[in-house]
Amino acid sequence: MDPRFTALLRPFLKHAGPGEPALTPDTDLRKLGVDSMQAIELLFTIEDTFGISLPDEELNDTTFATAGSLWRVIAAQLPGEVTA
Amino acid sequence: MTVPDLAERLAEAAATAREHVDHTDRAAAFPVAALDALRRTGLLGLLVPTADGGLGGTVRELVTAAETLGRTDMSVGMIFAMHCQQAEALVRHAGERLRKELLPRIAAGELYLASVTTEAGKGGHLLTAEAQLADEGGDLVIERFAPIVTGGTHADGFLITMRSPGEDATAGEVSLVYAHRDQLALTPSGDWQPMGMRASHSVALRLSGRVPGHQVVGEQGGFHRIASEVFGPLAHLGWSAVWLGTAAGALSRVLRLLRSPAGRERFDLGSDLLLCRLSRSRQRLDTVHALLQQALRTLESGADLSVPARQLQLNALKITAAEECHAAVDDLVTALGLRHGYLQDSPTGLERALRDLRSAALNYSNDRLHLADGRLALRDQGVTFA
Repeated sequence: MDPRFTALLRPFLKHAGPGEPALTPDTDLRKLGVDSMQAIELLFTIEDTFGISLPDEELNDTTFATAGSLWRVIAAQLPGEVTA
Repeated sequence: MTVPDLAERLAEAAATAREHVDHTDRAAAFPVAALDALRRTGLLGLLVPTADGGLGGTVRELVTAAETLGRTDMSVGMIFAMHCQQAEALVRHAGERLRKELLPRIAAGELYLASVTTEAGKGGHLLTAEAQLADEGGDLVIERFAPIVTGGTHADGFLITMRSPGEDATAGEVSLVYAHRDQLALTPSGDWQPMGMRASHSVALRLSGRVPGHQVVGEQGGFHRIASEVFGPLAHLGWSAVWLGTAAGALSRVLRLLRSPAGRERFDLGSDLLLCRLSRSRQRLDTVHALLQQALRTLESGADLSVPARQLQLNALKITAAEECHAAVDDLVTALGLRHGYLQDSPTGLERALRDLRSAALNYSNDRLHLADGRLALRDQGVTFA
């Protein structure tokens, strides 16, 4: 996962304590505070940061479930990006 | 699969509801006789698979049943529809042991289920919880206050949302847990004197008790999945069907009155104004019916309901049904005037239907759904339709 991605994600994880370990692809976004209300703000931040537009059909609960699932959808829109 | 004798079962339950509806409405009393009819006709087990002794009904049959009951008594219809949501949550998400303990009893009419999802201070947010389950040696300790529990003083079992156990559990980690009535100490509080839906007897309730660990439905912290796959869709479809039934029942009684010899004497059926008002009322109901059928097809397709276009459609059904069913009855009040539109003892029953339907926009508030829909709309730039 790109460091720009983990940095922009941090402020949205309102339930993550100060001792929260580093973000991994398995990090559960819902558990840490990304509800459907937050998802749209997060989407704008992602699109602004990377200068991309995420496809409408990918904007479901599965995409926003974990850091890894969200990153995969972002990575697919980045030129030359290898999904990790 | 078709439920055997569904129409006959519904006719029996509706006849009982009709017999008692004036009393339960006036006294704001729970419809015990109608619930007994739902028990003995097997309808409480409508969605329970036949292998577990139930009727093996589908969501389409739930919609039919909810609409039919709604035509007679909206409170009974809502009590039934909400029970079926709870039953479906158990059918689809309870572990094997809990399923074996509960499903045959629901099918036998022994278990009427109430839902405990409201909590003070969270404003109806389904997916958050403050009160937390405590895990004591594998048992789960429940200590919870809920401001509104429909049928709470008459339910045989409860499905309760609570924050998952554990020190680091957040408000977003919500579990659904089942408790038998005899596993809980229940303290109702406050009076129940609402404008409408008076027979739904939705009181405030304090629940305390202890249940074995296998009574968690789905995974610990997994309520969001049950909410998006079962509670949300079945609530919107079931409630909308009840509301459509209530408004359709009202329109039907109005038409029967107008076409009776006495009605033709009292009302000028050639009046342009009356005809336009009847048309408007009927048009609203056809709109709701069409949206209900389309949402049903969306659910039956098995597609991912979390996709914005599908969520928006289900939410639009709830919002539209709440607004249009109420407006359709309001049109009829205007059309018929003070005597048959406004008086309690008119055979049209418009007065009660209007009071009952006023709750529809408030029952999981339309405002809250519009806020969610605005955000969902922003996630669907291409504006696709489900």
